[in-house]
Amino acid sequence: MASADKTINTDVPEKDVFAIHFLQSLSNLRIQNLFNSPDTTNYRVRKIKKAAYVSMARAAGGTSRLWSRALLRRAAKGNNKIVRFPRRKRKVTWKISSKRRRSDQRAPVVEDAAERLRNLVPGGGGMETSKLMEETAHYIKCLSMQVKVMQCLVDGLSPK
Amino acid sequence: MMNSSLLTPSSSSSHIQTPATTTFDHEDFLDQIFSSAPWPSVVDDAHPPLPSDSFHGHDVDSRNQQIMMMPLNDGSSVHALYNGFSASGSLPNFHIPHGSGGGLMNQERQTQTPSQPQASASTATGGTVAAPLQSRTKVRARRGQATDPHSIAERLRRERIAERMKALQELVPNGNKTDKASMLDEIIDYVKFLQLQVKVLSMSRLGGAASVSSQISEAGGSHGNATSAMAGSSQTAGNSNDSITMTEHQVAKLMEEDMGSAMQYLQGKGLCLMPISLATAISTATCHTTRNPLIPGAADVGGPSSPNLSNMTIQSTNTTMGNGNGKLKGNGNGMIEGSSSIAVKEAVSVSKP
Repeated sequence: MASADKTINTDVPEKDVFAIHFLQSLSNLRIQNLFNSPDTTNYRVRKIKKAAYVSMARAAGGTSRLWSRALLRRAAKGNNKIVRFPRRKRKVTWKISSKRRRSDQRAPVVEDAAERLRNLVPGGGGMETSKLMEETAHYIKCLSMQVKVMQCLVDGLSPK
Repeated sequence: MMNSSLLTPSSSSSHIQTPATTTFDHEDFLDQIFSSAPWPSVVDDAHPPLPSDSFHGHDVDSRNQQIMMMPLNDGSSVHALYNGFSASGSLPNFHIPHGSGGGLMNQERQTQTPSQPQASASTATGGTVAAPLQSRTKVRARRGQATDPHSIAERLRRERIAERMKALQELVPNGNKTDKASMLDEIIDYVKFLQLQVKVLSMSRLGGAASVSSQISEAGGSHGNATSAMAGSSQTAGNSNDSITMTEHQVAKLMEEDMGSAMQYLQGKGLCLMPISLATAISTATCHTTRNPLIPGAADVGGPSSPNLSNMTIQSTNTTMGNGNGKLKGNGNGMIEGSSSIAVKEAVSVSKP
């Protein structure tokens, strides 16, 4: 089996790291000068949301987490940018197709919940269930951190 | 009977000669036993290749590890057999069960701890006999568990998954469910909720009222009261005035009997009460439209005051409560705190117990 981690490491950086990344992405967006025409509200919203996710992925550890890699790759594909990822050591190389066939018999309750999770968490399609749950824990922590940052921004910027 | 066939020397040529003699041929003796008995085993590895009449499908190795127990009542015959066995192997304490009818202990076959009483004694002897015999022994299984590597791997895997689920349980609010299925559902809903929160927050200061309501109404999600709060805003944006007045009347009716139930009704709809003065202050300060600020909710959606929180100022409160100010009754999380912050925060606090 894979390496036995006694304690799973799901630490995320502090809020300020997320804040810095998000603000940088926002200022980049502003440079593009999109915010004049009100017709493109949807477009603006989508850009901001995408910027939020990308900055979150960068803040959370860049390419050292599976979900952040998948997120960044997905985002880069949309921009037709070529992203280079550092070669990481292939520690676990399960082929998911062979695993899936057998995994349907293994605790089907857990497995179809894992299917739904795979659709939600970026990059979940290639992960085994235990790895998926690890990634989900880290993803949840990062998401809540990002939400706090955005909430603070909105609070701070809204007029009293 | 077994005894008689063993001991009568005249039935066939392959019978053993007499129980008293110790010089009988081992091969013949064992042949006799195997041809007549339905026992599929032999204990002696001094006689490895044995006729396989009664035990098809067993290989030699497995035979070597099995112990045959003789259900003999006659002590003398037992002694004869004992002598025969002891000549080739050592059986220091061979326990003979009387009238036991051939309980066979099979090390190979059983993965569960044997429940037969004689098995324990014979395992002791089996241990001593089998020790020189082992060429391939399996790990003795613990009670109720299998030994093959697949199930061990399976067990390990399940332990890892359970460990991670426990870690996830602390992250997710309302994670005190003991049921695995409901816990997983909670996790999934929480992830959806967080993603929806990010989406909403990215709209808050930028999107217009229309886009906010349209985006929210198409969003799924069922996490607690938060989504109902958001759904409330989309509803009021699209609602006609009739349903709003109906809600108002409903709330007024509820308020006559019990204030708490009225607040709960409002909370369930994702609405809350606020003093009229505050509502007017907010709407006039931030709203671009010229709508009547007493019409609930939609006017405030676009401004910094939350897209998710609909304010419902009930005009009838004035009359029923006889108070010109529309005074609020404090009730925990349901009320606006007077800040213009986005009700996602309040929605989150609403969902907490």
